[in-house]
Amino acid sequence: MGRTLPSVTQFFQQEEAAFSRFRRALRRSDQLALDDLFTAARQHLAAAQYASHALPFEVFLLSMLLEEHKEVIKLREQVEALASRYR
Amino acid sequence: MKKIITGWLFDVYPNETNLTVWIIGEDGQRYRLVQDFAASLYAAGSSPRLRELWKWLENQPIPTRLSREERKDVFKGMVTVLAVKVLQPSRLDELFRNMAATFPDLTYYDADISPSLRYAAAFNVFPLARCRVEVWGEKVESITPLDTPWDLEPEPAPLRILSLEPDCDPAHGLPKSVTVAHGRVRYSLLPEERTQLLVCLRAELHRYDPDVILTSWGDTWLMPFLIEACRERGVTSSLNRDESLSVVERKEHTYFSYGQIVYRGRQVQLRGRWHLDRHNAMLWNDYGLDGVLEMARLTRQPVQEAARLSPGTGISSMQFVTALQSGILIPWHKHQAETPKTALDLLRSDMGGMVYQPTIGLHRDVAEIDFVSMYPGIMVRFNISPEVPRAKNDLEPAEGEPGIVPMTLAPLLNKRMALKSALLSLHRWDCRRPAYHARASAEKWLLVTCFGYLGYKNARFGRIEAHEAVTAYGREALLRAKEAAEDLDYEILHMNVDGLWVRKKGCNTPADFEALLADISDRTGLPISLDGVYRWVVFLPSRVNERVPVPNRYFGVFQDGSIKVRGIEARRRDTAPFIAETQMGILNILSKAPDADALKDVLPKAQDFIRKQLALLRAGQVPLEKLLVAQKLSRELGEYSSPSPAARAARQMQAVGKTVSPGQRVRFLFTLGKPGVCAWDVPERPDARRIDVPHYRTLFDRAVQTVLAPIQQSVAGGVDSECLYLFPIKKDNPLLVTNG
Repeated sequence: MGRTLPSVTQFFQQEEAAFSRFRRALRRSDQLALDDLFTAARQHLAAAQYASHALPFEVFLLSMLLEEHKEVIKLREQVEALASRYR
Repeated sequence: MKKIITGWLFDVYPNETNLTVWIIGEDGQRYRLVQDFAASLYAAGSSPRLRELWKWLENQPIPTRLSREERKDVFKGMVTVLAVKVLQPSRLDELFRNMAATFPDLTYYDADISPSLRYAAAFNVFPLARCRVEVWGEKVESITPLDTPWDLEPEPAPLRILSLEPDCDPAHGLPKSVTVAHGRVRYSLLPEERTQLLVCLRAELHRYDPDVILTSWGDTWLMPFLIEACRERGVTSSLNRDESLSVVERKEHTYFSYGQIVYRGRQVQLRGRWHLDRHNAMLWNDYGLDGVLEMARLTRQPVQEAARLSPGTGISSMQFVTALQSGILIPWHKHQAETPKTALDLLRSDMGGMVYQPTIGLHRDVAEIDFVSMYPGIMVRFNISPEVPRAKNDLEPAEGEPGIVPMTLAPLLNKRMALKSALLSLHRWDCRRPAYHARASAEKWLLVTCFGYLGYKNARFGRIEAHEAVTAYGREALLRAKEAAEDLDYEILHMNVDGLWVRKKGCNTPADFEALLADISDRTGLPISLDGVYRWVVFLPSRVNERVPVPNRYFGVFQDGSIKVRGIEARRRDTAPFIAETQMGILNILSKAPDADALKDVLPKAQDFIRKQLALLRAGQVPLEKLLVAQKLSRELGEYSSPSPAARAARQMQAVGKTVSPGQRVRFLFTLGKPGVCAWDVPERPDARRIDVPHYRTLFDRAVQTVLAPIQQSVAGGVDSECLYLFPIKKDNPLLVTNG
């Protein structure tokens, strides 16, 4: 309603839709992985809005990377915990 | 002969020549007085045009007094204006219409302010103000207020209230009886016996002489019905106490506002009495008569207007009074355009409040802390007003005199804070509590809308840059609060414009959070308060994608056992009451658990309850009223390409000759077979056997799962708030465990 610029959420949805042809051509298993990445970017929409970057998609990519790295940290901790149990 | 009356100002409205002023005296008398009152409007423009206007006005039949003055336009500074004093306030509209049509090129000020509002500003009075009035014969010589709208506990006026209550919604068909009640008197009249009804009502109006006629559906049905009945018999209705004037009727209309279609029913207002319709009063359910009176006192609009106006009009009239009293011109039309901005500026400023994505799941010992009336607080503290130039750095108060917006808001904000703190100290059973609550919520609505009006292009004292400055400071304050919390090792679970949900191991009493509150208040300069500490709270994911959090769908139980829900079915107005009750019933049972660990003890009880409710639904024992769904019609019926259930129900109403406008709620039941719905507001009652039980079952299950699934998950796994892996290896959704 009466916005000069689309909100970051609207922009996100546009971007996601813009990749629908790309997604369609992927294998089913890859499609699911791609969905995961978009879900990851969604976790940081508030921060992306606040950043008010001229190219929000860069922020979305960084958000994906961020969640990916959180996952790595979490898995590494688990591996270390498991490793110490069997040492 | 000179007389002095002390009492309450009841109503003010224009008559043929001057103003009629009603006073309820301390002696119990109702005084109808008159007062001379001149209303001024101003015109600005080139000198030759103003001279022409002057000549034109001198030839008008309406008496005026003309002068040249210098006055203040907040956007342009001092301007030379032609002041037109109209000696008969009731004819100002007529004069102005002609004037604006003949001289469309001039700029007009103070042109469309109602006489009641001008009167309130001129004598600093308001509806139900206690006043001291000097009277000569029938004429008011002077009126002095003895209290202010900001008093926490004004002396209540001794109002005589007569209530008229039809036995059913007239939308269904003609009510069989109308209950008349006042004090201990209570009896029924039959609308079918029109003559008898009129005679009895007339006698009652004479005998009891009420100040207020409180009705249900009075605007839409009862009053028009009575007026029509009187007209048929050629008698006066005596609904008005002031018999020199006729009843004021306004037509219904539909308009579009903030992405929503809004429907306003027709209105019937009385003179010398108030007519209040419970169903047409804005927000009556929120704050009742106490709130309506408070709204009138604060906004200074006559009570019958105040009951029906939107908070936006209310805040505007408060600003008008501030402007009138401080000699600031109120532009008739606004001419301020948005100042040019660079693309980057626009990118930075065109944002709302900050809304976070919460951490999905159940969390224990969570504190919810809120900034108190954040946006109005920012406007007052940082002097944000359309006419005040912004400080270079947006995060510092603007210099200079307080602007019109902070001047209007400051007393309102203070009163709300005082009421809130008074509420905290009142005993749970104190009889003043409901009235305090009603007043505080009336103020809340005004404060909430004042922010929107700051950015509204048609608001006389609105400007988008001021609006943006408020949200910018709001975001800054929230981020500073987040940083304060994280510096003190709190975990942020959620943030939403003016509130934060935080948690820290070992913190579960209000005292544990005091240091944090002090720190936030210190860093932001804004008052902040602890809304409460939750025993547990659940943030729900989106319906569409269970891994995507949504900001405003959560429920939880505070330490005192009270429940807070947002965005779930029970809060939604289009949920059938039976389903909402079931959901709240489950939450009630869950709230009996003293902490999250004890949830497993109450879970069986909740499941029992669900089974019982389900059995009722299956056996068809749920009263039809409780299965009603009320949805808004979003457009004209002809415009639907695939009609929604509401539209299909509206068509059925149309078929029996009822009109439904966009914005109106349509009540209906889901039924078996075509067309799948059955409108409620038609004379014929649907057959209970036709209810679409499977459809209601689906809705029921969904509502039950919303609250139960996260609890079961917590009880079963024990890892409740342990953040789910964002990329789960198994594709099952941890939150949607099916109900075994």
